[in-house]
Amino acid sequence: MAEETSLLLARKARPPIFIALSLLALTVVYPFVYLVITSLRSNTDYLRNPLGLPAEWTLHNFVVLLNAYGVGDAFMRTLAVAVVAVLIEVVLASLAGYSLARYAVPGGKLITGAFVSVMLIPGQVLIIPIYLMLSKLGLVGSYGGLVLVYVATGLPFATFFMILSYRSLPQDVLEAARVDGAGFFRTYFWVAMPMGVASTATLVMLEFLGKWNELLFALILLPADKQLLTPTLAQIGGKLDTNQPLVSAGLVVTAFVPLLLLVAASNYIMKGMGMIGAK
Amino acid sequence: MADPVVRVSGWRRRERRLALLAALPAFLIVAAFMVYPVGFAIYISFTQTNGLRYKWVGLKNYLDILNDPIVRAVFVNNLVFLISVPLLIFVALLVSVLMFEKVRGWKAFRVLFFIPNVLSVALIGTMFRSAFGYYGVVNSAIAATGGQRVSFFTEGSLAIFVIILALVWSGFGYQSLLLLSGLSAIDQQIFEAAALDGAGWWRRLWSITLPNIRMMLGFVFIINVLYTFSSLFGFIYVMTAGGPGYATTTIDYLVFLKAFQPGNLGPGAALAVLLFLFIGILTLVQNRVFRLGKES
Repeated sequence: MAEETSLLLARKARPPIFIALSLLALTVVYPFVYLVITSLRSNTDYLRNPLGLPAEWTLHNFVVLLNAYGVGDAFMRTLAVAVVAVLIEVVLASLAGYSLARYAVPGGKLITGAFVSVMLIPGQVLIIPIYLMLSKLGLVGSYGGLVLVYVATGLPFATFFMILSYRSLPQDVLEAARVDGAGFFRTYFWVAMPMGVASTATLVMLEFLGKWNELLFALILLPADKQLLTPTLAQIGGKLDTNQPLVSAGLVVTAFVPLLLLVAASNYIMKGMGMIGAK
Repeated sequence: MADPVVRVSGWRRRERRLALLAALPAFLIVAAFMVYPVGFAIYISFTQTNGLRYKWVGLKNYLDILNDPIVRAVFVNNLVFLISVPLLIFVALLVSVLMFEKVRGWKAFRVLFFIPNVLSVALIGTMFRSAFGYYGVVNSAIAATGGQRVSFFTEGSLAIFVIILALVWSGFGYQSLLLLSGLSAIDQQIFEAAALDGAGWWRRLWSITLPNIRMMLGFVFIINVLYTFSSLFGFIYVMTAGGPGYATTTIDYLVFLKAFQPGNLGPGAALAVLLFLFIGILTLVQNRVFRLGKES
């Protein structure tokens, strides 16, 4: 990795800064290492020597989670709900974002303003009315209802994100396509979408993380036997205080996917999350 | 022969209509499942209801909420959780200033510090609950050094301490990234000129770096205040369930508790609306301050 070091910093000041940052990084990374180690031992082994290494390594905890706590099913359900919700959301947000960024849509300012202002709505305000509305529609307890809520609560930010990224595309390329006679959908599919693929990918990852990590709506809309992974983990953590290795295994399973995503695409994710802060 | 100008503008109008059509599905879903529910919540907050029958009670729910000693105690809890804000900013500032020196491996540090941000609050909360549990790593270490195991979650102030620790641990990476972007926007030449004039590292930090990112610091301050009022639910739910008693209950957790109390949804809705107003006002203040700062 190419490193550019600040020229203004005295050479002798560099090692202490490096050591300070390393120590801090250790406080972030070590808990995860400890979790993985704890998840790979039995409870008796853990209680005998909680701070040391296991006398015997085992996958038993993961098997128990899979068989007795339905964590495997919860994992698959979460994956399915998150993928479907993100797909619908990003397609709608991309279309809306492109139109609002690039066309003088009648009432466009109003629509954009609406998206921006509803971003402020905290989930807590929505839980009572959403629950009542979905129960009237017969959607409480169904994955369809949860997907609908995820799409709706994700759309304001997603659309805003896409508006910003389509606005930043070079104007002349899109204009050239239009002058050549390409209509709305032609320009969108063949010019704008390929050019915006990086930001769309960023949005997909951010929104997927959001769905994977969601707790409140899943908790109130799904019954225990159909529950998703994060709420299931919360329940296991609350109930099994005395079995640290099992809870650790649950944490490892839940953290695995987001961490994998971060390792694979840290640049996209960090840039995208920076935008959330800068809105 | 048709006038080409008219044809082009007719084509444009058609394009604009298509664009509106493309934006409509997103808009309608948001209108139906975000905007309408807020109106519905406001309506519910003026009624006594079980979700089937609604009886108009005017401001009664709001008055009850404002006179409720539990709500007041819980609001004080939120204020206590604000202790996390200066702590968080201090650590984030420290980290960003150190990373700004771009020592070896600073990009890797950036990613490592960011890890907690891709994980759910519920997961981090569970991690801390387990680490500070009776058989957790912290108590194991205490026991190993000959101390007495501490029951962190049965005493309010200790539980609050653990939650604040979790907040700082999980939040500093993202905040330091924001501050780092503020630092990177400072003109490097100012630093070089100051260095030529003999200003040392501390002097430059105090007279150049900090004043130049004060807007960013203000922004980070406000988003963290907003966060403590609207987003502690996940932590509280998995770590303490609001207990002992109401010692760690926050406003957003109380909304959840009240929302599904059997019999009457009105008070929960009223509390949620009050929370929303409070957050809205804070955000307006933030936008005001932020915009004014940009102009000056």
